Amino acid sequence: MSYREKIAWLSLIAMAVAYGPYFMFVGRGPGPWEPLPHLHPLGLFALVSMVRMLILGAGYLYLRLGSPREERQPLDERDRAIEHRSLSAAYYVLIAGMILVGCFMPFSSTGWTIVNAAIFWIVAAEVIHYSVVVASYRVQASS
Amino acid sequence: MMQGSISNRIRTLRFMNGEMSQAELGQRIGLTRQTIAAIEAGKYSPSLEAAFRIAQVFKVPLGEVFQWDVEATPLKAS
Repeated sequence: MSYREKIAWLSLIAMAVAYGPYFMFVGRGPGPWEPLPHLHPLGLFALVSMVRMLILGAGYLYLRLGSPREERQPLDERDRAIEHRSLSAAYYVLIAGMILVGCFMPFSSTGWTIVNAAIFWIVAAEVIHYSVVVASYRVQASS
Repeated sequence: MMQGSISNRIRTLRFMNGEMSQAELGQRIGLTRQTIAAIEAGKYSPSLEAAFRIAQVFKVPLGEVFQWDVEATPLKAS
């Protein structure tokens, strides 16, 4: 498994661990904090973001120390092609989500529901990005 | 459209050049070992520039490294 594939797996795991429970919690329905502004959900989001950063930081350190220098080469043309493909896929998910959140949700939802929906689509786009990276490296793996 | 697939002789050429490793070949043309492995296995088609670089390393024409295998396509009845 290449270094960049490991990084993509790490990013996916960090997002699943941090944002999975967050969206399960906020997805249960509008809480008592629904009217804006309210700092409770913001604090919760900051907490899960810090958890994600910690997982990423520890993971990067582990992978950097555990991978030989030649594994950590700059992007080559295949890496750039995979990056381009994955970002294109993520872009469409992000645009679709933002259209839904910005153009349709204001007619039916308010406050933190809209904010969390926007965060969800950003995270979904990131998940698509790293998933396409992992899938591309898997498909092109020689063994 | 003409159907076909790209095959290559990189493994053979590496063997003929002192069992050159994938990592060494990659280093000489600015690609990672994994990319060389993917090209060798036919799972990634390199850019024209990278293809020329590979041929240059082995000091052979491009056609000796990569081949375009045309697949026979049945004629459509009109």
